[in-house]
Amino acid sequence: MKAAVVLAHPNSDSFAHELARRAHAGLLAAGHEAELVDLHAIGFRAAMSPEERAAYHGASPVLDPIVDGQIDLVTSVDTIVFVYPTWWSGLPAILKGWLERVMVPGVGFRFDEKSGKVRPGLTNVRRIVGISTYGSPRWYVRLVNDNGRRTLMRALRLSCGLRASRRWIAMYALDTTSRNQRQEFAAHVERSMSELR
Amino acid sequence: MTSGPRRVLVVFCHPLPDSFVAEAHRRALAGLATTDAEVRSTDLYAEGFRPEFSAAEHRTHLEPGVGDDIASHADDLTWCDTMVLVYPTWWSGQPAMMKGWIDRVWASGVAWDLPDGANRLRPQLHDIRRIVAVTTHGSSKLVNSLQGEGGKRTLSRSLRAMCSRRTRTTWIALYGIDTCSDARRVEFLERVESEIASLAR
Repeated sequence: MKAAVVLAHPNSDSFAHELARRAHAGLLAAGHEAELVDLHAIGFRAAMSPEERAAYHGASPVLDPIVDGQIDLVTSVDTIVFVYPTWWSGLPAILKGWLERVMVPGVGFRFDEKSGKVRPGLTNVRRIVGISTYGSPRWYVRLVNDNGRRTLMRALRLSCGLRASRRWIAMYALDTTSRNQRQEFAAHVERSMSELR
Repeated sequence: MTSGPRRVLVVFCHPLPDSFVAEAHRRALAGLATTDAEVRSTDLYAEGFRPEFSAAEHRTHLEPGVGDDIASHADDLTWCDTMVLVYPTWWSGQPAMMKGWIDRVWASGVAWDLPDGANRLRPQLHDIRRIVAVTTHGSSKLVNSLQGEGGKRTLSRSLRAMCSRRTRTTWIALYGIDTCSDARRVEFLERVESEIASLAR
């Protein structure tokens, strides 16, 4: 198995970074190939540029070598693991921008020539894993709608095809958890990733 | 309740000035110009807004206030009683550029505070009475419903929760723009202009 771990958090001493390292370690311990991508560290730009938008529906929508590198990665793996904090019930801007700029036509999806409808483009990916932390308790997340989770587990999954499996691992009410609870959760993340087959 | 003319903040997000969404933005401003509303207008791409949350911002994100570079955005947000967001829906939500405006500007001491030991934010934007979205979707209403209308709920639930209990949301959306007729596009632009004008009166 080959996996990409995509991490979206600006602080290298954050809990999200620890979770990404543990997820990566779990995958390696199980003998999988795994690459950890820290979007802030590689200088990934969140916003689609005017030039990229103008080129979006053309033959060459990719204008940034960093985006090219991400496309090489996601088209060569069978598992993508996202690690990020949920902000305003959604993806941090840098991860939302990763979807917009990496999952372009021809990569994330393609338009069917006859019907013009959207078809899956990332059929090499057979599993999507989301690992996220929330400031709010679980009941509140449900009430306001778990938008980031839905974006990855529904919209992105359509890019991979309906055979792709989904796994969601979440910690709620982060700010009021104890150090022990966070350590247990990090261990749970590592163990879960080492058990992926 | 505030009296006097409406104070309307318009936040526009699209990379291309010749796009359909940019035209909808111009029509929204034209509608506002027919009212006595005070208008502040922000074009995130034109001003080169940085959407990425920085490491320094994250380290201090529980402390009240924002950095000097986005102080005017925070001031706009606390000033307005009506907020109009104009953007294309991408991947079932606000574009990264606008999500970054939310991540960074809806900050502690501006949109909320977090009392000691609490795990829920306490709202601070009591003056905002209406949140309006003007947006386009490539896919149909059915597909958007199946995907959960995430962008709509971000506004009507997550952001609205930082405003007043009486804050209402208005959703002005064109679905299936990739395949819709010119007539429907024209009709939508007219709806944007007239509906925004009537909300600001």
